[in-house]
Amino acid sequence: MPTIESSKKDLEELIGKKFSKEELEEALLGVKGELDGIEEDALKIDVKETNRPDLWSTEGIARELRAYIGKEKGIPKYKVFKGKRKAFIDKKLEGIRPKGAYAEVRNVNVTEEVLLQIIQLQEKICQSFGKKREQVAIGVFDLDKVKGNVRYFAATPSLEFVPLGFSENMSLREILIKHPKGKEYGQLIEKFEKFPLLVDENKEVLSMPPVINSEGSGKITTKTKNLFVDVTGFNQELVDVALKIMCMALADRKGKIYSVELNYGNKKIISPQFRKEKIVFPFKEVNDLLGTEFNAKEVITLMEKKRMQGSIKGKNLTAEFGDYRKDIIHPWDVIEEIAIAFDYNKLEPEALNVFTLGSVREETNKTKETRELCVGFGLQEIASNHLSSKEIQRKKMNLNEDFVEIANPVSLNWEIFRKNLLPESLDFLSKNKNTSFPQKIFEVGRTIELNERKETGVEEKWKLCICVSHSKTNFNEVKSILEAVARERKTGFKLKEERIAFFEEGKSALIQFNSGKKGFIGEVNEKVLGNFGLETKVSVIEIET
Amino acid sequence: MEKKWIHSPRLDTITMVEVTAKKYSRKLSKTELWKKLPKKMMYQTFSTIIDHLTEAKKIRLNEQGKVEWILIKEGQKETSEEKTAGIPAGKETETIKKELNKEILQEKTTELNDSEKNTVFELSEIERKALKVLGKERKELSVQELSEKAGIELDSARRSIQWLNEKRLGKARIQKEVFVVLGEEGLKALKTGLPEKKFLGGLGNTWKKISEIKAIPKQEINIALGNAKKKGLIELKKEQELEIKITGKGKEFLEKKSEEELMLEKINEKEVNENSFDAKEKEVLKFLGFRKNFLKHKEKGNEFIQITKKGLSGIPLLETQKERKYNLMDPVEEVFPGKKQPYFKFVDEIKQKLVSLGFKEMENPLIVQEFYNFDVLFQPQNHPARTWTDTYKLKKPEYGKLPDKKIVEAVKQAHENGGKAESKGWKYNWNEKIASQLMPSAHGTAHSARQLVKGVEVPGKYFTIARCFRPDVVDATHLIEFNQMEGFVAGENFTFRKLLGLLKEFAVEIAGAEKVKFLPDYYPFTEPSCQLNALHPKLGWVEFGGAGIFRAEITENLGIKEKCLAWGLGMDRLAMFKLGLNDVRELFSQNLDWLRKGI
Repeated sequence: MPTIESSKKDLEELIGKKFSKEELEEALLGVKGELDGIEEDALKIDVKETNRPDLWSTEGIARELRAYIGKEKGIPKYKVFKGKRKAFIDKKLEGIRPKGAYAEVRNVNVTEEVLLQIIQLQEKICQSFGKKREQVAIGVFDLDKVKGNVRYFAATPSLEFVPLGFSENMSLREILIKHPKGKEYGQLIEKFEKFPLLVDENKEVLSMPPVINSEGSGKITTKTKNLFVDVTGFNQELVDVALKIMCMALADRKGKIYSVELNYGNKKIISPQFRKEKIVFPFKEVNDLLGTEFNAKEVITLMEKKRMQGSIKGKNLTAEFGDYRKDIIHPWDVIEEIAIAFDYNKLEPEALNVFTLGSVREETNKTKETRELCVGFGLQEIASNHLSSKEIQRKKMNLNEDFVEIANPVSLNWEIFRKNLLPESLDFLSKNKNTSFPQKIFEVGRTIELNERKETGVEEKWKLCICVSHSKTNFNEVKSILEAVARERKTGFKLKEERIAFFEEGKSALIQFNSGKKGFIGEVNEKVLGNFGLETKVSVIEIET
Repeated sequence: MEKKWIHSPRLDTITMVEVTAKKYSRKLSKTELWKKLPKKMMYQTFSTIIDHLTEAKKIRLNEQGKVEWILIKEGQKETSEEKTAGIPAGKETETIKKELNKEILQEKTTELNDSEKNTVFELSEIERKALKVLGKERKELSVQELSEKAGIELDSARRSIQWLNEKRLGKARIQKEVFVVLGEEGLKALKTGLPEKKFLGGLGNTWKKISEIKAIPKQEINIALGNAKKKGLIELKKEQELEIKITGKGKEFLEKKSEEELMLEKINEKEVNENSFDAKEKEVLKFLGFRKNFLKHKEKGNEFIQITKKGLSGIPLLETQKERKYNLMDPVEEVFPGKKQPYFKFVDEIKQKLVSLGFKEMENPLIVQEFYNFDVLFQPQNHPARTWTDTYKLKKPEYGKLPDKKIVEAVKQAHENGGKAESKGWKYNWNEKIASQLMPSAHGTAHSARQLVKGVEVPGKYFTIARCFRPDVVDATHLIEFNQMEGFVAGENFTFRKLLGLLKEFAVEIAGAEKVKFLPDYYPFTEPSCQLNALHPKLGWVEFGGAGIFRAEITENLGIKEKCLAWGLGMDRLAMFKLGLNDVRELFSQNLDWLRKGI
């Protein structure tokens, strides 16, 4: 979910209307936007659409809202003047970064705010829509410094130019090693023998996509009037969409768009081209999905508020929209726009009025019974996390076992899944040493262990762990509880004396219920108590429930 | 209020508060008093002490909200009170201690007046136990000894020391004691042996050149050599360089554990009170202490008490008085009932409510295949939410099994070209391997996805309370694990308006909200999508979660013709709303005191 920074004044000027904070919040619903922050003139707007890069700038939000509040309607129109420039795209870029798209935008009023917006839009598109520049990388240049036709080709890494922010020539290879952007994005091209490079007729370098522009033409200031936009990537459709979105934003700043002729060998493409796309479906689907009774006229008006055009032919509704929108792939995408244009809160919620028989899972009933039984014993229920640390589960417990493990933990505290509940219960006790004794706690929760035979390679088990802590507690105290549990469950059990790493020797046993469930019982030994910093004895039962 | 303190208050800090409270009696409020303390302390600790002093009827908060000292009893002069109030620390008490000892050794008793007799009759159970032990032992006991001998918990022993001291039946003091622990080198020697042992062990049976000795670092060789020679453990000769050979005595030495080693083992990883060593052991300690970084000393304050003349005189009263005379106002031992954890209790209630509304609970495993978490839900494999930073992956095990081939194929088609739905799909090559990767479920919708694959009754209502995992930073609104109340309903003629109706019902029936609001929202798996907000009388508008109609690409490709209205609400948010909490961490509080009393 991109967060867009805007100037309120700038946004209002672009829309042509002033807003109070409440009015603005209301209006932003039209772009699935939420006001995340407002500080005098500075706005932070969360735009929830991850598939609408056209909305990731003040210009884009204003464009959409002009229609939403009724100042304009239908598909936004952008004129492209015929330009003279050609771009030659080298076949040898195949596999490296083969697609490019270019345009000129002249007479742009580049203020400080516009500059910020150009950079923001460019970055948001590259990061999110362009998958961190892999799919789409954008460069914006001072057109007046670009001479004649441009050539995009695979260059030898020893070639040199002055990268943005530096004052000396560096070879392409050096840039990948030394330049901050080279270090960040170099991995996208470093594996190739040749690197992508964009040069003008005088062989002056414009940029090394997707890494860095040149200091010469890649520097835009408030004095720049005419711009050259370059987009590269792997898929012509994506590259074109990004170029169009950049051009639309600049044209909204009074710029005039001029085309560039793309030359892929003999194949020529005029760039950019603003076209319409359409989707056709039965009109009935609108009311069927929403539960409304809109007529055709109402629906068409609502579509126009969302920058679409609608028409009816027979029983079908045709929805047309600008081809910069790649998020509409199904009729329901259009119907949602209709509902938003109408306002969700004006749709009367309707009761389901469908009767079905409810039920909980067997494990829910069973665990609830167990927990109620424990409350009856006078035990306090606690809750701990399923994720735990090797420190708690393994080291402090004196164990050396395998756990289900996270590949990308954010902290060593939450690196593995618990296999037993006891370690976290002891950790709980260690945090409550100054609370009055006796302390009697229990937890019923899920544990996870490796099991190849299962569909997910793991087995999830519900377990009950009871810890009783005071200076005179012992094995027999918890054995009484165990017997009561078994009695209530109407199952017998056997104890088998066993050395268990975290229990006192001779005071621990494995539990085998006649029902097949297992568990352990014992007094926590001094070493493990010490590991948890506990000073008072703890006796334990932990069983599968 | 949740009380948090790391250390329970010590007697000297209690004394400090007492003295200050008395000095400024009736002049300061609780907070002002806290600020007036000669030494700073945590407010929670201070609060605990104030509670304690109130309980002990030493102070009270008067009508003006000021702290008032109230302990002055009839017939007692304030000056004498001042002398004995609180517990003096350290050496200042030496003289008093001696005097008392004399009296007690002579078994001098005194006649108690009525007020003093009452004090004895009104003693609590732990005080009686403690006093009896003190009377029997006739010597000063540490808090640990008292706890052990009287058979009471450590914190009870601590309390009884304080109380008996206040009632002047016992005389308490704090003494700094020194504890011995192993230093870095000491611990190393404990594990790998003393340097001279390592050195001797590395010699073998023949003459060895000094340059060949590897068992200990160069800088330690000279010391080891000197020591060993002095004790006659080695012979030395000089040819081109110094050569060394172990003697018979040396071999003996190697086999037997030295006193120093035994001492290292005795101390081990514990903290040992210096006073617990006998004279011979202290000698050994001295030698160990010469070795660099072998030993460390820690100072700790410990509490001691011995009986006073009055205490001794009261003991016969304890013996004769079979039934303790109860003071109805006396504080009694706190007991706590067994209780459910408040969040789990809330979950129980929600489940019951949902069942009564006709919902069936779905399976909700903690570990799922990406297939269910993303692919079935039409979330493309290059979607930003599927990256390393947004969701957890498993290191072990890595891959799981996918369901029936037909279903896998249907999902593949949905992604690549929309499949049976009137959709363009995402136009890329779908990869089965990615889909079979395992992860802790990142949202409850993974379980709805599994239900959609398993089959759906029409009409059908499904729910689960799911534990979800995302690599977020923990703060007041985010936990490392969180919970969603998730589900969907499927039925003929279901519409978006009916979804809004269902959401409204949840907000009103389950959370007790007064008003709801719907905002447009985006989810990769629903269209239309919305966000549910509810109005709380105190908290204002609260975001509950998201909802929408499962995309046709999902349902139609799984052979479900009816519309499925789906939602995922933040269960923790719901619980906070209902329980009136504003920090989500309280829901899963690890504070036993709060769980017992707080909610």
